[in-house]
Amino acid sequence: MIEYAIIIPLVFAIFLPLLDAKKAAIVSAISFLIPMFISLLNILTFASYEVFIENFGAPIGEFYLLVDPVSNAFGFTICLVSAMVAIYSLPYMKHRFEEMVHSKEITNVEREFKKYWFLYNVYAASMLLLVYSGNFLLLYIFLELSLIASFLLIYYYGYGNRQWVGILYFVWTHIAGVLALLGFLIVAFESQTLAINNISKISFLAWLLIFLGMLVKLPGFGAHIWLPWAHAEAPTPVSALLSPLTVGLAGYVLFRVYTIDPSFIIAYRDLILAFGIFSSVYAGLSVFKQKDYKRLLAYSTVSQMGYVLIALCVGSAGLLGLIIQYMSHAFGKSILFMTAGALIATYGLRDLRKMGGLHEYVPTISNAALLGFATLSGVLTIGMLGEFFILVGVAELYKLNLAVIAAISLVFILSGLYSFYTMKVIYYGKPAQLERPKISRLLDAPLYFIAFFSVAFLFPPLSTALIEGINYVLGGVMP
Amino acid sequence: MIEVLAILFLSPIITSLPIALAWGLEKRPPWADKLAYLSVFGLFLSLVAAIYILLNVGELTAESEPVKYVIPWLPAVNINFVFIFDYLSKIMGTLTAFIAFLIGIYGLEYMKHDYRLGWYWFFFNLFTASMLLTVYSDNMLMLLIGWEGLGIASWGLIGHWFRDDDHLSYVGIIDRKVWKLNMFWSPSSGAWRAISTIRIGDIPMFFAVGAFMVLAGTLNISEIDWVALEHKIGFTGIAILMIAFMMGPFTKSAQLPFSEWLMTAMTGPTTVSALLHSATMVAAGTYLFMRLSWYIEPWHAGEGYEVIYAVVLFLGLASAFYGALVAAGCLERKVLLAASTMSSLGLMFASTAASYWVGKIAILVGFWYLVTHAFAKATLFLVAGHLIHETHDRFCCGNLELAKKLKIAFIATIVATLCLSGIPPLTAYWVKSAMDGVMHSLDEHFGIFPLILLVLTSAVYSAFLAKFLALNFLKGREVEVHAHGGRVMSFAYALMVSMLLVLLYFYTTTHEEPFAEFLHEGFMVSSFAVGLLVLVTYLFALRNPSIKALSRIGMFLSDRMYLPFLNDYIVPKIGWIMATIVDCGNRLIDYICHSAFPKFFEIISYSLRMIQDGRIERYLKIVIGFILVVLVASTTVGW
Repeated sequence: MIEYAIIIPLVFAIFLPLLDAKKAAIVSAISFLIPMFISLLNILTFASYEVFIENFGAPIGEFYLLVDPVSNAFGFTICLVSAMVAIYSLPYMKHRFEEMVHSKEITNVEREFKKYWFLYNVYAASMLLLVYSGNFLLLYIFLELSLIASFLLIYYYGYGNRQWVGILYFVWTHIAGVLALLGFLIVAFESQTLAINNISKISFLAWLLIFLGMLVKLPGFGAHIWLPWAHAEAPTPVSALLSPLTVGLAGYVLFRVYTIDPSFIIAYRDLILAFGIFSSVYAGLSVFKQKDYKRLLAYSTVSQMGYVLIALCVGSAGLLGLIIQYMSHAFGKSILFMTAGALIATYGLRDLRKMGGLHEYVPTISNAALLGFATLSGVLTIGMLGEFFILVGVAELYKLNLAVIAAISLVFILSGLYSFYTMKVIYYGKPAQLERPKISRLLDAPLYFIAFFSVAFLFPPLSTALIEGINYVLGGVMP
Repeated sequence: MIEVLAILFLSPIITSLPIALAWGLEKRPPWADKLAYLSVFGLFLSLVAAIYILLNVGELTAESEPVKYVIPWLPAVNINFVFIFDYLSKIMGTLTAFIAFLIGIYGLEYMKHDYRLGWYWFFFNLFTASMLLTVYSDNMLMLLIGWEGLGIASWGLIGHWFRDDDHLSYVGIIDRKVWKLNMFWSPSSGAWRAISTIRIGDIPMFFAVGAFMVLAGTLNISEIDWVALEHKIGFTGIAILMIAFMMGPFTKSAQLPFSEWLMTAMTGPTTVSALLHSATMVAAGTYLFMRLSWYIEPWHAGEGYEVIYAVVLFLGLASAFYGALVAAGCLERKVLLAASTMSSLGLMFASTAASYWVGKIAILVGFWYLVTHAFAKATLFLVAGHLIHETHDRFCCGNLELAKKLKIAFIATIVATLCLSGIPPLTAYWVKSAMDGVMHSLDEHFGIFPLILLVLTSAVYSAFLAKFLALNFLKGREVEVHAHGGRVMSFAYALMVSMLLVLLYFYTTTHEEPFAEFLHEGFMVSSFAVGLLVLVTYLFALRNPSIKALSRIGMFLSDRMYLPFLNDYIVPKIGWIMATIVDCGNRLIDYICHSAFPKFFEIISYSLRMIQDGRIERYLKIVIGFILVVLVASTTVGW
């Protein structure tokens, strides 16, 4: 059933411009809620099958949709976040468009909304289709589609020097894309197919190119520099997809490649692990120095993506951790970006130095942020399971190596520290001199909807089914 | 059974949701504050469930087999919700639920006019539920859920008055500075200090849990084969693993050097301090150590464990002595009590750690000291809260006038201080005597050093308890009393303190283990001598609660021997230096990628374009130059 449901958002994208903004928001949200519930059902029933589309012969191979507990887990996350952000977009983008009309950058709010909804749905739908793609070429096509759509959204509606930031984003992600494409092409010529279920070996060079590409996209240290620009200056609903969903898909691609042939990661395990830890710690420390709320969150994303690299290196428990980490980061970070957006929409505030004690005025936003940060730092939410499985993996491979224990502890401690530090700086302490605003319910209710799942996934039956399913994909027994 | 468990854990949380939601509404309904009664009712239900378990599930003796109840959670990786009902958990659970319920009742009056009741009750009940989950967990990952719940709930409650606008909620003397450091803390910074310290301990503990999964194959404390584990990973392995694990209990129970957060946790409402210091949070650390030791049975275990138990023993004793000294110097009501808690926790750790050499009785001594301490400390905190309400002052003040006006508080304080300090023949005397016995048994391993530390701690301990009594009710400065109500509050602490007498009854009349041992130790001459010493220091401090000549030393002690520098200066400084380096790195990379590199291409492109200026000479020069280069190249290569 999911194979039909995931087409809905893409099909709806065509019709959304025909509707007025409010209806379009509802329809867009519904178009993601349908596949969301079906993928949730799939998680609970351990659905696992393939849907044949077309065979293109060598070297492309078969195009098919890959439905398994892993793609369902990613698919569910993407649908949930996209649906909630769609609802949230309505008040937020209205605010943004009015601001742009005011500065004479655009003329008509309703017309911009038409463009926006089309791009939004295409962007989110392409990510959804990506995780169900059973062929690396198909996967690459959706990757490109999502990049172009998100680039346009930043280019049109971003903040600050948005054209510059847009191009910056475009160039960096295309470096990533091209490297990955080269890798896929090598795979295609070596294996004579790009269908995931038919490839059995990935040569060193192909792995290296894919890995480097995904390292730029993830991003790891060094290449991370594009991310704070793009994620901070994108319009907030786009940030709330970019950061939680898009970058983490690099982790998904690496996961799929790893399950085909883990040779590369195994050969360079120590090096990659060290790099992942360094990257995470480096970005985690950067968070403390940020003065802009969205930029702060962007650095936190880099730090969290370091977890993904770490998880990739530590065996099958680590892979379990990788998937849960993607989910928990997506839940947490989308909530947090939306809180940042809510502050922008109500106060036009981004600068941390002008904040303080905001819980006084926007308690619902503050409490949502608490849930978001709790998810990131693994307190009472699904994040806890993610951290746990990564630690199990580390213990499995590195046993009781003191240096590794210290390093990995530092990574997780930093996340907790910057989370609560930020809470204190923004929401607690002496309240800044502001008025208590009237906040649209659409700006805070979706956040709690996501937070609900973040907590629910810690407990049975959701966590039970999720872990059993993924465990099966990783080579365990069918539940 | 599952219904009982649901009531036990979920009823506090579910009943606190209505007030949390109603309080958050844009237009707060007039009945919103009445929903607090519902929250307390939830605590009551939880207490009923805990008592049911105490009386009906398994036997209640130290030797009885544990009863377990399993709910599938992550069966794919062999992790399930495993509830354990044994001697420790049944008593501890009932204690927690009972104290939380009484403090809940007290809170109905104490917090009546607060501006954040929704937040308060939600986190208060979450706090209780988390502690109960921690208490009844056999599975470590499930235990960590409760553990993290404690962390976040304590954070929420310590920072409850987040506006930082009421000096009555601060800790320390406002505007006091030592060198560059502010020696006063607001609620929001108190909360931050708590959670940041706790995270530092929790993550290594979390790692250790992951490692247990890998090395032992199960996370159920009662099922891990601790001896085999030692054989498997050896001496260093066990040491690393257990120290990493114990980082959690050390930070949560505020042992040295992680004690600072506990002192500034006093920025929260007094009810929170009372709960935090008696049966939840800080008790969770010691309780967990007891639970582990109960099943490790270190007296049968090998040498690998000896190091750990020795470390815990001396860390506990050192913390106990440090805490007692700090409390002796403190003039702030709640901070004095906080330091005394740290001291008691140290004793609990030390006593439990002695089980490696002494056997199970040492754990039981530690455990019953925990129970005794919980009732006494909760009483003292509740009294302190009432006093702060009446006098609007955080510092010790009040004289006989105050004692006359607050008779019940006065009597409760007398009983609690007498019963806790270990004066014969009152409640704590019997446990302390047994503790003396335990420390005395360590003679052949560590000499009389542990015993001396214990006796010294006990002496100072009773002195500051007497000081607390004297400075608040007898000899403190005169204060204006804003008497209002207070009946519910008095009822709560009167009931709480009477539990100490119930315990006394149990200790002296029951002939089961471990009480028979307590009695036996209590009737020894040496124990009696220590009891007398404690009585002397008590009376001395009652007579001279503040000694002018020692005020400099007092200041040094009440500044916690400058330990705040570690927390507020050294560690953050290191962090900021690293963050600054990293920030410079980011700027450099940003400059290279987004300025220097594009600029470089721009320059190349510009110069290439500049060449093409349309004049024929320029092109001729280029062609000739090119030919010359080719000629030179070909001659050198040798064509």
